[in-house]
Amino acid sequence: MKIKFIGKCLLLEEKGKRVFVIGDLHLGYVGSMRESGILVPSGIYNDMINELDKIFENIGKADKVVLLGDLKHEFGRILQEEWKEVLGFIDYLREKCGEIIVVRGNHDATLDSILKQRNLKGASYFIWENTAFLHGDRDFDFVNGKEIKIWVIGHAHPAVVIEEKRGGKKEKYKCFLDGKYLGKRVIIVPSFFSLNEGTDVRDLSGNDLGLAWNFDLKKFDVKIAGDGLEVLDFGKLKGLRKS
Amino acid sequence: MVDSVEKGNMTSGRIEYLEPYRAEDVKKILEPIVEEWFFNKFDDFSLTQLYGVKTIYDRKNILISAPTGGTKTLTAFLGIINYLVGLALKGELEDKIYAVYTSPLKALSNDIFVNLEMPLKEIRELAKKKSLKMQEIRVGLRTGDTTASERAGHARKVPHIYVTTPESLSIVLTTKKFVDNLNALEFIIVDEIHAMANKRGVYLSLTLERLEEFSLITPVRIGLSATISPINEIAKFLAGEGRDCLIADVKLNKKIDIGLISPAKNLIEADSAESQKELYRILDNLIENHKTTLIFTNTRAATERIIHYLDLHFPKKYEGFIGAHHSSMSKEKRFEIEDKLRKGELKVVVTSTSLELGIDIGNVDLVVLLRSPKGVARALQRIGRAGHKLHENPKGRFVVLDRDDLVECGVLMKNMIEKKIDNVEIPKNPLDVLAQQIYGMAISKVWKADDMLKTIRRSYCYSDLSKEDFLAVVSYLAGDYALEHRNVYAKIWYEPSTGEIGKKGKLARIMYMTNIGTIPEEGFISVVISAPVAKMGQVVGKIDEAFLEKMKRGDVFVLGGAKYQFIRSQGMKAYVIADVSKNPTIPSWFSEMLPLSFDVAVDIARFRGLVAERIKDKEECLEFISEYLYCSGEAAEQIYEYMKEQAKFSEIPSDKTIVVEKFKGDKEYLLFHSMFGRRVNDALSRAYGFAAARLRHRDIEIGINDNGFFIAGEKLDENKIINYVNYKNLELILKEAIEKTDVLRRRFRHCASRSLMILRSYKGRTKSVGKQQMHSHFLLAAVKKISNEFPILQEARREVLEDVMDIKKTKEVLRWIESGKTKIKKIRTPMVSPFGLNLILQSHADLIKMEDRAAFLKRMHKLQMSIIEGK
Repeated sequence: MKIKFIGKCLLLEEKGKRVFVIGDLHLGYVGSMRESGILVPSGIYNDMINELDKIFENIGKADKVVLLGDLKHEFGRILQEEWKEVLGFIDYLREKCGEIIVVRGNHDATLDSILKQRNLKGASYFIWENTAFLHGDRDFDFVNGKEIKIWVIGHAHPAVVIEEKRGGKKEKYKCFLDGKYLGKRVIIVPSFFSLNEGTDVRDLSGNDLGLAWNFDLKKFDVKIAGDGLEVLDFGKLKGLRKS
Repeated sequence: MVDSVEKGNMTSGRIEYLEPYRAEDVKKILEPIVEEWFFNKFDDFSLTQLYGVKTIYDRKNILISAPTGGTKTLTAFLGIINYLVGLALKGELEDKIYAVYTSPLKALSNDIFVNLEMPLKEIRELAKKKSLKMQEIRVGLRTGDTTASERAGHARKVPHIYVTTPESLSIVLTTKKFVDNLNALEFIIVDEIHAMANKRGVYLSLTLERLEEFSLITPVRIGLSATISPINEIAKFLAGEGRDCLIADVKLNKKIDIGLISPAKNLIEADSAESQKELYRILDNLIENHKTTLIFTNTRAATERIIHYLDLHFPKKYEGFIGAHHSSMSKEKRFEIEDKLRKGELKVVVTSTSLELGIDIGNVDLVVLLRSPKGVARALQRIGRAGHKLHENPKGRFVVLDRDDLVECGVLMKNMIEKKIDNVEIPKNPLDVLAQQIYGMAISKVWKADDMLKTIRRSYCYSDLSKEDFLAVVSYLAGDYALEHRNVYAKIWYEPSTGEIGKKGKLARIMYMTNIGTIPEEGFISVVISAPVAKMGQVVGKIDEAFLEKMKRGDVFVLGGAKYQFIRSQGMKAYVIADVSKNPTIPSWFSEMLPLSFDVAVDIARFRGLVAERIKDKEECLEFISEYLYCSGEAAEQIYEYMKEQAKFSEIPSDKTIVVEKFKGDKEYLLFHSMFGRRVNDALSRAYGFAAARLRHRDIEIGINDNGFFIAGEKLDENKIINYVNYKNLELILKEAIEKTDVLRRRFRHCASRSLMILRSYKGRTKSVGKQQMHSHFLLAAVKKISNEFPILQEARREVLEDVMDIKKTKEVLRWIESGKTKIKKIRTPMVSPFGLNLILQSHADLIKMEDRAAFLKRMHKLQMSIIEGK
């Protein structure tokens, strides 16, 4: 399995087939902010599409695209904005990729009624070759099987704060966490949703992030999307310069 | 009398000082029964009453400025009570509101009881005794705490005198019933106006214009203030544009008993265990020798610390006799302490700033000012809390904690004795407050935009509001910036062809009612125990955001008298280890620090200069210091030693010379001894810091305090940096320099909330500060994408530049530098000089970011790789 980190997304390649992976999207977030009485200017959705355009320009058409869950934001009722954005997004992906697979996240209880309109259905997990794609809030017996070698997970919104020195300059960046758990390779994908900065994972474990497994994240590699689509490897989380 | 000043009869805006009337003249206007009541109770009129009562009776706008204990509240009410009693005796009292009284304090029921309800009750009883028929004069009280049924009661049985807060007043202006009751209002009293030189005051000034606009007659405005400067401007602020106002500058012959105490013989050792012990011994001694002592500490953290250590040094002694009072405590807890104070049950109360304002707190006979209160008016206000009674002299003691504090408190004391008050400034044209008020105005009725602007411009704070800014705010409220969502989120409609403005949506009034106000909700972080296991999950209290920002993993701090070690924070929670034995590592002073005022700072600089001229002759110099500052020989000696050390090491900066020292530490430092107060230093440091960052294209560290600032970086060219900034480009530089700062982000959240972009309460749900904060973060990012000129973003910038910093004074300072009136003297020193020590140790540090995120990431990546490969 060839795995390529590209921007905040993944591209997996095996036997000439390519699967593109996008993390949590939280479509309709802006709408739900407005619903709760916050006047947000529009334009966020379009920014996200522009960002994806750049990636597809670079990688071309993928055979499949996997959405790792939390495609939309609201838990309960569906907002008008969510209908519009989710359907629009599915139509967009249809142009860029072959099959669309939607893994259901904890925000997605009502998602199927929207997906139905495009003849899609959310899944608890998705298996392709030796790889399991999961949201990450729940464990499943099947993905623990021997033939599964890789887990690709969303849900956690990982990020790290990079500090120049104690009290010096610091900035927060979304990151991938790439490590091992019970003999499997685990890749935690950052959220694609652009308004959220992510959770600083230094000092945290898998459970702290709301994941179903208590990964020892210290031993995971930190990979940060820098300028454009390039991803920089910062080595193990525990080796990051600490404050 | 009722038809006093005809509406629209605008006068010229004359501000004049008033002389007190003779007692006979005041007596003459009183109804016989009011006169009898008054002289049964008091021997004579107070000076304040000689100024005020007849003036109010004559229906003239008046600002009464008098120290605490000056019977101001009764002065304001006496003339009004007298008038209403006259009407009530004749049976002519109508069902309308005659007078509105507003105060920024919610907890003023006691004051109102003594000065309004009690007199009314006693006069009624007197009338009964004399078998005089008199209508009942009703008082209605409405604050944020008033229940719905009480409010409904007010609408049914109209109170004649309406007691309220600025916010509640503006709410009732959107209620039809109330407007009908208010449209022939005759008097409006604004109490504690000295505490309103802020956005809350701006808000009130617009509320008064709204009141005026639909009122059939022009109500008389009565302002009550503690000692304040510039008093002329406050009078204009009270009266509004183009209206006359009289000033009663009441100078009570109260002598203030004031002194200066320093714990350490040698204040360099101020942080040593020995001098700490000495400090608590001094406090204990002062408390012991007075009935009730009030200690002001400036910050919540310091308040906690003092209580903690008093208990540590004198175990059990203060149990049950000591209380804390600060703004992050619950309302109930604060009331409990105030009540105990009044009853005389407490020996000592330690407070941050929250007990500064007017409510009567009983028999405090000593006020201790621990660390400088940073301004003369504030110091007077605090000391006035002792001897609140009319004929008692207030007594206060400064207890200083280091040598800068000593000099500063010395100069403050001089200015207090010489009654030299520092100037306050009222914000001009804030667009967030404007947005809230335009919304309120639109709810009341449909307006012509031009009339609305005219009404707004009558407020002192908006007299020069530009039409462009006005229309930008209207356009924001009309939803123009939400683009395709305009219809969903618009709060008002604006029709350019007819020039009309009106409200939108059925819920407008409720939305307005539940979201108005100008005081930002500060975020409080819950402190949660994560170890030991037995206590896990317990919430032990709250700390403020700014305090958390400073904390690093492993730091130990004091909260509620116990010590905790900080582990990590997540969202609005901080996780800590309880039962730690280590000493606190986090100096408790630096969050919520009050800024030193410009005027006092310049006086300190002048004093430094005067000492510098005499430094060669010790005897003469000592004599000068103790004479000039009215301080003891011991204090003078300490000040002399401090100045001498600086003179030897580098040079004493003064009002004519800014000394800039350059030295090398881990980086290169430029330390500016710029004695202009913190708000100017804040602006100067960011401007010079930005220049340094731009010249080398690297981030620059800056640190500021009240006495100066430093900038630090890899290589600093002082000449280029200083020449880069001038008074013409200052504004441009600062606007760019603040763009990525936390302070702009935080202020934007406040502005977004004030302008109703973030509704705290919407559709029956209330948002936590944490939620608001999280949202505001996204909101700022989104707003910047849409328009850099978005009015609420502009307001956040204005607030940072004009209210947090002081760009006007900073420009003035730069002009002084450019004209040569102030010289900059550059000196190389081997290390930090004595005057700079506190700045390096305790300053509030920040970073001017020049390198962008992507470049920083790449640089850090390279560094990280070299570390990994090096292993």
